[in-house]
Amino acid sequence: MSEGVMVSALALVGASLVGLRGWDSRGYTWLLGLAGVGFLWAGEAVWFGEGGAAGVFLLLLGLLTLALASYLPEYLGHHPKEAPVYAFLVPLFLLAMVGVAQAPPGLPFLFFWEGMALLGYLLVALEGPKAQAGARAFFLASRLSGAGLYLAFLGQGHLGPDWIWAGLLVGFGVKAALFPFHLWLPRAHPVAISPVSALLSGAMTKLGLYGLFQAQTWFGPPPVWVGFALVLLGLFGAVYALVRGLAEEDLKGALAYSSVENLGLMLAALGGYFLTGKALFLGAFFLHQVGHALFKGLLFLGSGALSERQLSRLGGLWHRMPLLGGLVLLGMAVGAGLPPGAVFAAEWVLYQGFLFAPGLLPLGVGALALVGALALYFYVRLFGLAFLGAPRGEVALHLGPGMRFGLLVLAVFLVGLSLFPQQFLRPLGQGLYPSWIPWGLLALALGLYRWLDRRPSRSYGTWDCGFQPLTSRMQPNALGFSEPALRLFPFLRLRVGERPELDEPLERVYQGVGEGFGWATRLVQALQSGSLHFYLLLQLLTLVVVMGVVLL
Amino acid sequence: MTALLFLLLAPLFGGSVKWLKARLTHRQGASPLLEYRNLAKLLSKAWVRPGLSTPVSLLGPTLALLGALAAALFLPLLPGLSFAGDFLVALYLLNLGRFFQMLAALDTGSAFGAQGSYREGLVTILAEPGTLMALGAAALAGEGLGLAGLPVLGPENALVLLLVLASLAVALLAEGARMPVDDPTTHLELTMVHEAQLLDHGGPLLALYELAAAVKMLFYAGLMALLLPGPKVLVFMGVVLAWVLVLGYLETFGVKLRYLRLPDFLSYNTLFGVLALLGAIWKF
Repeated sequence: MSEGVMVSALALVGASLVGLRGWDSRGYTWLLGLAGVGFLWAGEAVWFGEGGAAGVFLLLLGLLTLALASYLPEYLGHHPKEAPVYAFLVPLFLLAMVGVAQAPPGLPFLFFWEGMALLGYLLVALEGPKAQAGARAFFLASRLSGAGLYLAFLGQGHLGPDWIWAGLLVGFGVKAALFPFHLWLPRAHPVAISPVSALLSGAMTKLGLYGLFQAQTWFGPPPVWVGFALVLLGLFGAVYALVRGLAEEDLKGALAYSSVENLGLMLAALGGYFLTGKALFLGAFFLHQVGHALFKGLLFLGSGALSERQLSRLGGLWHRMPLLGGLVLLGMAVGAGLPPGAVFAAEWVLYQGFLFAPGLLPLGVGALALVGALALYFYVRLFGLAFLGAPRGEVALHLGPGMRFGLLVLAVFLVGLSLFPQQFLRPLGQGLYPSWIPWGLLALALGLYRWLDRRPSRSYGTWDCGFQPLTSRMQPNALGFSEPALRLFPFLRLRVGERPELDEPLERVYQGVGEGFGWATRLVQALQSGSLHFYLLLQLLTLVVVMGVVLL
Repeated sequence: MTALLFLLLAPLFGGSVKWLKARLTHRQGASPLLEYRNLAKLLSKAWVRPGLSTPVSLLGPTLALLGALAAALFLPLLPGLSFAGDFLVALYLLNLGRFFQMLAALDTGSAFGAQGSYREGLVTILAEPGTLMALGAAALAGEGLGLAGLPVLGPENALVLLLVLASLAVALLAEGARMPVDDPTTHLELTMVHEAQLLDHGGPLLALYELAAAVKMLFYAGLMALLLPGPKVLVFMGVVLAWVLVLGYLETFGVKLRYLRLPDFLSYNTLFGVLALLGAIWKF
């Protein structure tokens, strides 16, 4: 463990104690900031030194911690009742995540892993009764993830690689929101408070990816089917999450679905790497992680400034707070995979990886393009309905200087990564498109924009066809906007009407599994009748069967 | 270089289609060169700033045009930029323009703008995968995944490249908002896609949008020209002329599809894309 991590760990413990003892926002800010700088320092040394996956994680965690250092105290200031608990738990949660990234495989790793799951659960559950369903989903997912990891770690040496990797795929896949196991993420992440959502979505899910990546050094190379499973489930999950997210009313819920999409692309990149061993896939894998942590952190923290998250009650927020609008627009444009954003750079590398891959893998290009088009639609909807147009409801906005600074930190790093992605990819020995193109484009756009802005213009109302004046009710609402696209995916069984409804097909599958499990337990329960005679009969039967097996 | 050529050619292209359509319906038709004066007029006008608008209203036309022009920069019809994977950057630059155009349509708070915006999103979802797969197939059949290394139609790759060309043709109709997908002359808000987004943009903003739409179409025509044998610029002129004739015919005698029938038409694009990619993988 390097000095940077040591310093950060100490700072985090200190911050946690400060939070526990009472509420002292200045010391808290400094300690968290110190931890963030320590992570960045350590991560920079690891990533640009030996190119380790832990380095990427430390880097992105450091960036998020830096932003939180200024954001969190002010945010908690608005919620004075729960503040000490959160102030106490958040640094510990950060500590557990770093522990996972630094711990050697085996018991220490599992210790930190379970600690992270427990703290994460507490952070979600603390939000109150309305977070109950989300916290329960998080808890169940953590148990499933733990079960998979126990299978892999305890079975090492006894089980074949197929079983080990199946365990790893479940164990880490659940955390990384691999397709059929992703349901918990959009339930748990949006109900937590915004800084916690940013951490859960921006950092914790990446540990699943980190684990899957590191597992090949711990458990040997994965079987071929693992790579195929990752590519297929990753791409399918990305498309599915975006379509499902298009119908999401809650701003943070939609952002959580977008996380599932981005994680799906990262998992697909990892699968491609497992199958082909090409550095192109690794480039996409790592670059996307940092890009996603930055832009999703920005968006989640930005949504923390709003008192209302239902899209159909937002609207026209830009006029009230242009700074927040601009920053969120930046985050969403990057998230939609537009050049020159960091996410686009990662997708660009991934496209080439798929095109160069053997077999039928080039067909993945189609899935990627579909993801790109859907993401465009998805983010236009989110930004357009929440920030543009006429306001639809009363929304309180609180974004003090500290919170603003936290958002700006993330935005600055996001712009830096978007303009110089090749610096970040240097340890992988990988090039990118000439970076002066986006610079030139942005400079020209600025010039043209200023020219337009200075042309003579006059202010007038929006054109209303000469009928009654426009009202905010005439803008499409959140579901109306996405209805045409949802029609293309009939498996979701969208019902638009007075009370719009959307099926979650997977929900039923899990319900079915749960009911089947209950049925099986009731079957076993029948054995426990309490009757001594029945038990003696069972013993006798067992004896007969065992004897029979031995003798035959 | 190519971008400049496109910028100069774009008004002529639009004007020629309009002139041809007039002739086909036995009207005199205005000179194709009128479009230049029309653009100059629009550019010199003052524009109306809707009360609700934000800076996004200006970003829409700015980035729609610059994105399309930057995409044209990569077409090696005339000497330009070239690197591996440049076609991906080019298509995503078009998306950059589209993103801000869709947002600008939502910006004024009008119901029509929003309609145009989500319809545009739907067309993108339907058209984009096929186009990218087709271009990927062409790049695979060529060398180095760049536009400069695209193969030229010949007997050994005829099937793949014909599929790619068909896919690009559908993509041009969808991207350029032309007839079976969208009606560029309609005044019925219920059917509009592209025009509905521009309703609240006048003067120089409208001029930039018009230019951007034409440049986008020329971009797709340029992509098709790259795949055909012969001297590049001449082939390009030929392709553009062919498109003028096709569009003139299509928009005089054809009808616009019902909006909900669009998936049926645009699924051909996906089909061509998948087949082209399979062809490139298995080399038939």
